[in-house]
Amino acid sequence: MISFLGNVYNHTVDRISGQVSTYAPGLIAGLLIVLVAYLLAKLVRWILSRVFKGIAFDRFLRQSGLFSMLDRSGKTHAVEIVANAAFWLILLAGILTGISAFDTQLTTRITETAVFLAPKILAAALIIIAGIWFGRYLGRHTLVWAVNEGISSSRKLAAAVRVLVVFVAVAAAADYLNFARYVFLASLILVLGGIILAASLSVGLCGHDFLRRYMQERPERSEDKDEMSLWKHL
Amino acid sequence: MTHDPKANPPPRSLPADALKAVEKVQEADVVIGIPSFNNVRTITHVVRAAQAGISKYYPQLRGLIVNSDGGSSDGTRESVLASTLEDSQLLFLSTPLFPVHRLSLPYHGIPGKGSAFRLVFQIAEHLGAKACAVVDSDLRSITPEWIDLLLRPVLHAGFDFVSPYYHRHKFDGTITNSIVYPLTRSLYGLRVRQPIGGDFGMSRALFCRYLNRPDWETDTARFGIDIWMTTIALAEGFRVCQSFLGAKLHDAKDPGADLSDMLHQVVGSVFALMNEYENVWKNRNGSQDVDLFGFRYGVGLDPITVNVDRMLKAFRMGCRDLTEVWERALTRETHAAIRRLGGNTANPDSFHMEDELWARIVLDFAVACRRQPVERGYFLRSLTPLYLARVASFVIETADLLADDVENRIERLCACFEQMKAYLIDRWDTSSRFPRAPHRRPEQGQETIPAPASQGG
Repeated sequence: MISFLGNVYNHTVDRISGQVSTYAPGLIAGLLIVLVAYLLAKLVRWILSRVFKGIAFDRFLRQSGLFSMLDRSGKTHAVEIVANAAFWLILLAGILTGISAFDTQLTTRITETAVFLAPKILAAALIIIAGIWFGRYLGRHTLVWAVNEGISSSRKLAAAVRVLVVFVAVAAAADYLNFARYVFLASLILVLGGIILAASLSVGLCGHDFLRRYMQERPERSEDKDEMSLWKHL
Repeated sequence: MTHDPKANPPPRSLPADALKAVEKVQEADVVIGIPSFNNVRTITHVVRAAQAGISKYYPQLRGLIVNSDGGSSDGTRESVLASTLEDSQLLFLSTPLFPVHRLSLPYHGIPGKGSAFRLVFQIAEHLGAKACAVVDSDLRSITPEWIDLLLRPVLHAGFDFVSPYYHRHKFDGTITNSIVYPLTRSLYGLRVRQPIGGDFGMSRALFCRYLNRPDWETDTARFGIDIWMTTIALAEGFRVCQSFLGAKLHDAKDPGADLSDMLHQVVGSVFALMNEYENVWKNRNGSQDVDLFGFRYGVGLDPITVNVDRMLKAFRMGCRDLTEVWERALTRETHAAIRRLGGNTANPDSFHMEDELWARIVLDFAVACRRQPVERGYFLRSLTPLYLARVASFVIETADLLADDVENRIERLCACFEQMKAYLIDRWDTSSRFPRAPHRRPEQGQETIPAPASQGG
C-alpha cells in the first residue's frame, strides 16, 4: 500500500516536474518579453510625448476639430492620448509575443488570430472614429442651418443627422470586420426605409392640410422675404 | 507701399470670347465695369449713366463699358448692347473725341460678383486702362456724376482707391454699420465709411495688384469681393479716399439669397484677411479720416420697415439651441452675457445689447475662426442670430433718432471696437501656442494714428 502511494507520488512529481520543465522556460521567456515590452512602451510614451509637443500636435488636432470629439472640456492633451495609445499597442504586442513563447497549439492560434484581426479592428475603429467626427460636424452644420431657417426642432434634427452618420459608420465597420454584417446592413436599410416611409405617410396623410396652409401662407411668406431682403443691403 | 505690379507681372489671360471682343476695341483709358445677373429692369439706366459720365467728364479719353454677366436669362446682356444715349438730351461742353464702347460678356469661374470683377480687371489691364470703376447694376440713383466722382481722384489726384460715401437710411446697411465698418476701421486705422459699398474707383496699379492675387477662386468670388478689395487697398498702403455719391437707391435684392450665407461670406472675408494682414493690423492703433471728395447734400431715402420681434425670436432660438456651437466659439464670459441677454427678450422695448458685448462677440468669432479653421463654416453661420439681436437692439435704440444722431451712435460703436483691439490681440496670440508673426503692441507702437475731432468732408 505504502509502495503504491509512493509510486503515485513519484509519478505525480515526475509529471509536474516534467510540465514545469516544459512550460517554465516559456513562462519565464514570456514574462521577460512582457517586461521588456512594458519598459519599451514606457520609453516610447515618454519619447512621443516630447516629439508631439515639439510639432504642435495639439494645435493640429484642435484646428481640425478632432479635439472636440476627444474631449469637450479641452483639459485633455492630445499628446497624452497618442502617447498612451502607443504605450498600450506596444504592451499588447509584447503580451502576444510573450504568449507565443509557450509555443503550444492554443497560444499559436491566439497569437495568429490577434495578429490577423488587429489591423482590421484598428481600421474598423478608425472608421467609427471618423464617423463620429463627421456626424458631429454635419450635426452642427444642420443645427446652425435649422436655427437660421427658424425650424423649431433644430436640436432633434441635428441629433438625428448625428445618429444616422454614426450608424452608417458602424454598419461600414461591421461590414469591414465581417461581423454581423447582414444585421447592421439590414438595420440600416430598415432605418432609411422607415424614414422614407414615415415621410411619405406624413405627406400623404397630411398633404391636403399642409398644402392648404402653405397656399394660405404664401402671400405672407413673400412679404416676409421682401422684408428680409431689406436686411441684405450691405 | 508693398505693391509693385511692374516687378511682379500678372500671369493672367483673357478668355477667348473676351479676347476676341476686346481686340476690336484695341485701347481704353478708362473702363467702367458693371457686374450683372438678371438686372434687365435697371441695367439700361446704369449703362446710360456710365456712358454719359464718360462722354461728359472725359471727352478726351477712350472709354469702355464692360458688362460682366453671370448668365442672365432675362435679356440683361441684350439691354446693355441695345441701350443708347441720345446726345441731344445732354449738355456736353466738349464734343467727345472717341465713342464710348460697350461690351457685354459672360464671365467664367465661380458664380458671383468677384468673378465678374475679375473679367473687368483683366480687360482693363489688357487694354492698358489708367483707371477703372465698378458700379452695381441694380442702382436706381446713379447719375453721370458718379463716374466722375469715382474716376477723378484716381486720374487727377493720384489716389489708388476711391470708396463710395452715401446717404443711407438709418436702418439700411446694417452689416456695414454693425460689423464691417467698425471692424475694418479698428483694424486698419482708416475711416472708410462704406467699405462694402459696391461702387469703387481704382488705379491701374491697384487692379493689377488684385489680378495678381491667388484667391479669386475662394469665397471672395461671391459677396466677399467688396471688403476684399477695400482691405487690400487699406492694408497694402495704397492711397485711399472717398467720394460722396448722394443716395444709394437700388432694386430689392434677390430674395433667394440667404442672410446667413451673406454674413458668412462678408465676415468670412474680413476674418480671412485678418490672418493674412496680421502684421499690418497689429501695428496700427486708433483711426483717422480719409479724404472725402464731392459736395455733400441731403437726400430723400426709401423707407425701411423692420420687424424687431422676428429678429428677437431668431435670437431666442439661437440662445436655446446654439449653445453647443457658441460655447466653442466664444469665451465663457461672453457666452454667459449672451445667455443673460437671451432671457431678456420678452419685452422688446427694454432689449439692449451693449456695444462692448457686441464687439466681444465679433472679436471672439474672429479668434475662433483662426483657432479652429475646420469649424469656421458653422461658426460664421451661427453668428446670424447674434447679428439679428444686435440689429434689433440698434433699431430699438435709434427708432426716434435723426440721421446725425444715428451716425454718432455708430461712431460710439467704432470707438468701442478700437478700445477692444488690445483684447483682440491678446486673444489672437493666445489662440496659438506658436504665434506666426512677431508684432509690436499698439500701445507701444510707433504707428499710432491720432483720432481727429470730426469726420471730414
